[in-house]
Amino acid sequence: MKRFRFMVLGLGIALALTAFSAGGQTIRILDGQSTTDAGIEKIIDAALAAKYPNIKLDWEIVTWGTDLNAKVQQYIQSGLPDIIVGKGQDLATYSSRKILAPITGKPYLKNVLADAVKSATFNGTTYGVEFNALYQGVYYNRKIFKDNNLSIPKTQAELQALIRKLNSVGITPFATHFLDLWSIGNITMQFAINDIFSKNPGWANEFRAGKINYATSPEARVIYNYNKLLYDNTWKDETFSLEQTKADARLVQGKAAMKVSGSWSIQNFLDVDPDFDFGVFPFPNQAGNAKLIFEPNITFMKSATTKYSDAVDKVFDVITSDKDAAQKIYDLTKTAPLIKGVTPSYKNPSQKDIDAYAAKGQLVDANTGNLQLVWGGFQDENAKDIAAWLQGSETLDQALKAADSRRAVSKP
Amino acid sequence: MPKPRFKLVMKVQYFSLVFPSLLLFTVGLILPMILGVYYSLTSWDGYTKDFPFIGLGNFAKMLADPHTLDAWWFTIRFAFWNTLIQNLLALFFAVILDTGVKAKTFYRTVLFLPCLIAPIVAGFIWQHMYFDVLPGFNALLGTKVNFGLFGKSSTVLLGLLIVNNWQFVGYWMLIYLAALQSIPRELYESAFVDGASFRIQFLKITIPMLAPAFTICIVGITVGSLRVYDLLVSATTGGPGRASTSIIYHIYNTALNARQYGYGSALSISLIIVLLVIAVVQLGVLRRREVQL
Amino acid sequence: MIGSRIHTARDRWTAFTRKLCLQIFMIVISAALLLPIFTVINFSFKTRKELYVDNPLALPHSLYLDNYISALERLNVGTTFINTFLYTTLSVFFLAVLSGAAAWAIARNRGRFYRFTYLYFLLGILIPFQALFLPIYIVGNAFHLTNTFYGIILMYVATGLSFSIFLMTSFMSQVPVELEEAAQMDGASIYRTYFRIVLPLLKPAIATLVILQAFAIWNDYLLASLFVSKSSLKTLNVLFQQLFSTTSSNYSTAMAGVMISVVPISILFVALQRYFIKGLTAGAVKG
Repeated sequence: MKRFRFMVLGLGIALALTAFSAGGQTIRILDGQSTTDAGIEKIIDAALAAKYPNIKLDWEIVTWGTDLNAKVQQYIQSGLPDIIVGKGQDLATYSSRKILAPITGKPYLKNVLADAVKSATFNGTTYGVEFNALYQGVYYNRKIFKDNNLSIPKTQAELQALIRKLNSVGITPFATHFLDLWSIGNITMQFAINDIFSKNPGWANEFRAGKINYATSPEARVIYNYNKLLYDNTWKDETFSLEQTKADARLVQGKAAMKVSGSWSIQNFLDVDPDFDFGVFPFPNQAGNAKLIFEPNITFMKSATTKYSDAVDKVFDVITSDKDAAQKIYDLTKTAPLIKGVTPSYKNPSQKDIDAYAAKGQLVDANTGNLQLVWGGFQDENAKDIAAWLQGSETLDQALKAADSRRAVSKP
Repeated sequence: MPKPRFKLVMKVQYFSLVFPSLLLFTVGLILPMILGVYYSLTSWDGYTKDFPFIGLGNFAKMLADPHTLDAWWFTIRFAFWNTLIQNLLALFFAVILDTGVKAKTFYRTVLFLPCLIAPIVAGFIWQHMYFDVLPGFNALLGTKVNFGLFGKSSTVLLGLLIVNNWQFVGYWMLIYLAALQSIPRELYESAFVDGASFRIQFLKITIPMLAPAFTICIVGITVGSLRVYDLLVSATTGGPGRASTSIIYHIYNTALNARQYGYGSALSISLIIVLLVIAVVQLGVLRRREVQL
Repeated sequence: MIGSRIHTARDRWTAFTRKLCLQIFMIVISAALLLPIFTVINFSFKTRKELYVDNPLALPHSLYLDNYISALERLNVGTTFINTFLYTTLSVFFLAVLSGAAAWAIARNRGRFYRFTYLYFLLGILIPFQALFLPIYIVGNAFHLTNTFYGIILMYVATGLSFSIFLMTSFMSQVPVELEEAAQMDGASIYRTYFRIVLPLLKPAIATLVILQAFAIWNDYLLASLFVSKSSLKTLNVLFQQLFSTTSSNYSTAMAGVMISVVPISILFVALQRYFIKGLTAGAVKG
């Protein structure tokens, strides 16, 4: 009995010691991940070990949506980590709180696509390395479109005609999974980007100042009604209990033609059928000039208070220059690269659509919307009201008024 | 007769056996409780260094805050139904297993197995049960029953009660079973000879002899239900909306996400007070009945 | 309980049908109770495509083992498993040592101080630590105990002491005082009496304590998620929730993960089953 105790104690001490390995630098990295990002830390560790073996990363991984902000707040008081990894929209928030170190002009930024560097630059100062991008819009089953001679709709009228045609041949126009309230929130923001913020970038500020109300604003009503358009043209009795993966599977199987979604669905599509042929187009807006939404995703930021500035720079250098590691990450997350010269090896049939829109300059940054209205406490709460309205327990006016009541907490 | 000096040494040695536990317990539980009371009287946000004193302001806010009242309402309903249902089911199955049904060990294991799973994992499993597996029966049987209990605020409590009972009925059943099995058969035999029916035997012999088991189970289930959190995080994330946010979940949201540590502390203190009151009342009532019976 | 006497064939028939109905009922109930566990095992061997497309109740086309491999990898089983294992074993070890000693001291001393101490510890049973998680977290942060290896063990021990001492004191009656008094007559110190004589007799009590506390700590989520968020210190359950929460589509790996995380506690349970049941039921028996 005694020997066993000492064995256990010894094991414990041994482990404790290995956790504080001597020699080399250990820098703290706080990573707010989505579930699809899980595993990038191992790829980065391997890449770092290959080039700079005596720099080690002490990872703290939290769920982006719910915990990153709270952790950052806490660490502002007790000591920020050396690297913060968030999403593109965190750049504006954290830089305005003055907790990020500028990395303008650093040599490794040359490895990043110019647009991505621009998107991470505020008032001439660059604050982060944007690593990959998600594309949001209407993902569609190319075979269904081809078989039924459908063309990409650019206006609402064309969309309506498309929906009528699909209904007449018995194909559900939209695949939805309103069970996931975040999907309602995401869809609504996509609508808002092309119908509200593209025309009026300061809309949200005017909303907060009381000059605009959801209840009386025609454009707010329009985007809420797009939700209804989807709801009326999907599996109404199932959507509030259908899992995301099942909805994606139905799109692949040809039971539905379109899905308003983002790159995160690609993994699911390919799991059902690795040869699934799909494309993407922006959801048509009232003006007929909708752009494909591009959202900078994983973003690496250096904290303003780090004592290991050089080591952090080395880490950023590895991330942007190790093309193999970058490709592994893109393949793992099924996202689009923002590092120059890296092509993911997974099949993405929608890439040619993306390239076409990019070439015509028809891309819009998701941050035009995400930096205006905060997700937690505002967008997600509005989604709950939209869900209630669609299910009939609230009226549209009540849902819109509820959004107005959250005015004060809508600022990111 | 030990000498006085020896006695003092003994006293010191006994004390040294108890002291580490006392210290740890005080620092780990009592100190936080006292600090909790202090913070509850401030409007501290958890991050800055100032603790603006606001007296009972947090407690007043608590009584007027619909989110807090909703959280309490949910927690109380969950605890109430759970205590009722879980006790009855546990007793029910214990009686069945006690009446010599075949394969008793098998049933006992089946009923008990679910409690080995962590509640956070159980919530995850049952999400898939409700939204994926049970609807599978619809496809097989051609029915159209809506199994998505977690998807509507009117049914989410039911959904959670099912999960919690699935997990823990077996656990409490073991206690009832042991108590049942310890009742001497002679009591039953003499009652039977006197012509007492099954029902009378149950009411007059079984129930009274189960009194200590009742105390343990009722108090245990109530306290366990009032502190529900892990299950909710994975099963419903407090939703839909706030329909299944328990008081502890609400404290978590308020303090850690909304940065109101002072208010959160006040909520914690109120929870402690409620727990103590319920424990005292329950123990008082149940112990008295124990003695009576 | 005793039912009606069996006199006639009719009585025999009634008794038989009653037993049959009971059996059928229990079989149905068992099937329902086992369905979630069957689902976990079933899903853990399916490919993602089968999960998204096929009927959930169908069996897998073949025993697909990739889920287990990727679960072992994604759950960082090397690290999280060892972490959870160490937190559990060390906490339980300290709990056994400390609570045994304290319970014995309390049981052997009638004085006011020890009676008060016992009630003081009992406070912790009425107030589960989950209710105090916020102040505990604040204290943990203030003393820099969060995100450290020993910080969380300290907290598990501190919060588990109440129940442990309560359990151990109830077992103290099984230790005959005469043995101790004899030892003390022979000049043994308190410590020697405790370690040489009392502790060996407490083995069943310690076994009960071990399994009850190990089970509670292994399955804990709230304290673990607050205190250890660093990847190197994370526990299995916390990582599981992080990876496989609502927004994740990868539930085939998750189900394999569930199987993996349940294995250790099941082993412990099977090994110490007797003590578990005895400990659970200790207070339930009257007299």
